[in-house]
Amino acid sequence: MNINTLIYSKTPFFHTLNTFFLSRTHVKIIALLALTGIFVSCNNNDLQPEEFGTFQLYFDNMVGSNDLVLKNPGSTDFNYETATGQKFNISMLGYYVSKIKLQGPNGELFEDEVSISASESKGYYQVLEDEPSSHNIVMTNIPAGTYNSITFTIGIEEDGVQEGAAGGVLDPARGAWFWNWNAGYIGFGFEGTAENSPQPYVDWGGGFESQEKTFAIHVGGWKDVAGNENFANNVRTITLDFGTTITVADDLSPIAHVVTDVLKLMDGTSIDFGTTYSVHAPKAGKPFADQLNEAFIIHHVHQSSGSHGN
Amino acid sequence: MEIRDQLIKYLAFGWVLFSLWSCQHVPEHQPDNSFTFVKPPHFPEATYTLDKNPITEQGVALGRKLFFDPILSRDNSVSCNNCHQQSRAFADSPLHPTSIGVDSKFGIRNAPSLANMAFLKEFFWDGGVTHLDFVPINAIESQVEMDEKLAHVVEKLNAREEYRQMFKLAFGIDEITSPYMLQALSQFTALMISADSKYDRYVLYGEALSANELRGLELFEQKCASCHSGELFSDQTYRNNGLSTVFGDEGRARITESSEDIGKFRVPSLRNAAITGPYMHDARFKTLLQVLDHYDGLMVGSSTLDPSFKNGNEVVGIPLTEEEKAKIIDFINTLTDYTFISDDRFRNHD
Repeated sequence: MNINTLIYSKTPFFHTLNTFFLSRTHVKIIALLALTGIFVSCNNNDLQPEEFGTFQLYFDNMVGSNDLVLKNPGSTDFNYETATGQKFNISMLGYYVSKIKLQGPNGELFEDEVSISASESKGYYQVLEDEPSSHNIVMTNIPAGTYNSITFTIGIEEDGVQEGAAGGVLDPARGAWFWNWNAGYIGFGFEGTAENSPQPYVDWGGGFESQEKTFAIHVGGWKDVAGNENFANNVRTITLDFGTTITVADDLSPIAHVVTDVLKLMDGTSIDFGTTYSVHAPKAGKPFADQLNEAFIIHHVHQSSGSHGN
Repeated sequence: MEIRDQLIKYLAFGWVLFSLWSCQHVPEHQPDNSFTFVKPPHFPEATYTLDKNPITEQGVALGRKLFFDPILSRDNSVSCNNCHQQSRAFADSPLHPTSIGVDSKFGIRNAPSLANMAFLKEFFWDGGVTHLDFVPINAIESQVEMDEKLAHVVEKLNAREEYRQMFKLAFGIDEITSPYMLQALSQFTALMISADSKYDRYVLYGEALSANELRGLELFEQKCASCHSGELFSDQTYRNNGLSTVFGDEGRARITESSEDIGKFRVPSLRNAAITGPYMHDARFKTLLQVLDHYDGLMVGSSTLDPSFKNGNEVVGIPLTEEEKAKIIDFINTLTDYTFISDDRFRNHD
């Protein structure tokens, strides 16, 4: 007995179908449609929003309430002063920003994609004072919605370091701040000249020199070995409240203007350049890492699109 | 009748298809596994991120070329091979306790064997580097080794058409950048697996060890294997084994910044130890017998001396009779892997 015989058997149900509107072809088509319906209904695409916008994170480096104006290494033009009256200037400032997230009042969440490979380091940004274009981090594909706080990490965590050789801003041959000997990246670094720094002039060879009276504070270290507090993990994750709610939409590109006040790292640690002028290891960098939470402040946010002045 | 004829037709057709298919699939010779990473059955899992940097024939060929090329050094005088020679399991010659770099400069530590790095968690005597990709940067930029800047190496490579072609083949890139160079070197060195010594054949295939070697293995397990453990012959910890009372080279403390780690250095693998002398981080012992003599009565105390060498406050070391030392050395000799040191994949093909 084949299927045709079955359909057309003289049982009342099939007999009725057959009589009123269903040929065997119709039955087969309906069966096929019923099957495909199962697969279509498993798709959850209706949960994704349809609208996306752009968000800009702008970093404005300052020294207390003063704009940051860089001087050459060794310059004795000291345009800043610590709370304890030590005079200094800054010749270099920078930091790595990664794992940026936006949070909203109704559970809205955007996570900037993070992915390391030999060709690029997505989601990792290097903000350098002397490179103005690096101060502005533009993220696209933000789901439309309301957001009221931002989270970002200063430095490169273990999961970034242990991916191995990385391209883009993590490529040491292209300016990445990498510690060869204690593999990892400097998360926050600043250098300058201080009136009471005992640093003598040194010619390191290969075109590298340290000028007299300079200082260098390089904050790195990511290791977090259970049971060994000797390692200092100086990577810090910072969450900043906007103090208001901003809206991302396809015609609204808000911007958050963050002030990075490096003076907080100096006054927060009561720095004495007479003894603290050469920080190149995790332990010595820890007091400065512990101030990073204080150093980043939301200055303001606004809804307008268009570029933000330096 | 009809059905039988149809069946025969279908079977015949099917048979023709099958024959054609199987002609393509039956290999004429063994597939080439040279560039496949194969974990030896008795080894732990690899630590290297092979998924991020899969090993390919072109990648290995490129890494090999870089390994033997002094272009990595400032004045084109020193290549990786200068301090890591295959006949020494990729450690340095016994004539160079600490290796010689650019301008005939000496370092302060003995160049270790490069065998089995794909299975290690950390690298160098102080474990400062935690990923294989980052290892070469240290040799390249050390002033007493290659004395070159990574960026300058990349520049030099980009100026060589042959390298541009090899990078294009290996990675599909038009411009050479440092991460790809490091990955090529990692592909080459990750393949350097040493697991075919007489000892390995004993473990894996039941091949015979001599009576002395077997006794040596027994003694080794009693007296040495608490630190030189497992098939890698190292527990990958950092310990002070009583070489000095004070340490100019602070070892692990340089990385952990803890006074508790002063004088601690990585427990090295003992694979191929018969050919990787001299021994210890500062290469102070020329022979394996000198090493065992040290453990048996010549150790000195310090605040960070490993507790396994102490009885209360007394430094006891590892007492060994002369006969025991001879047998342990017989056993260590079985760790020499002649397949590894003659493996053509690791020879200079230029």
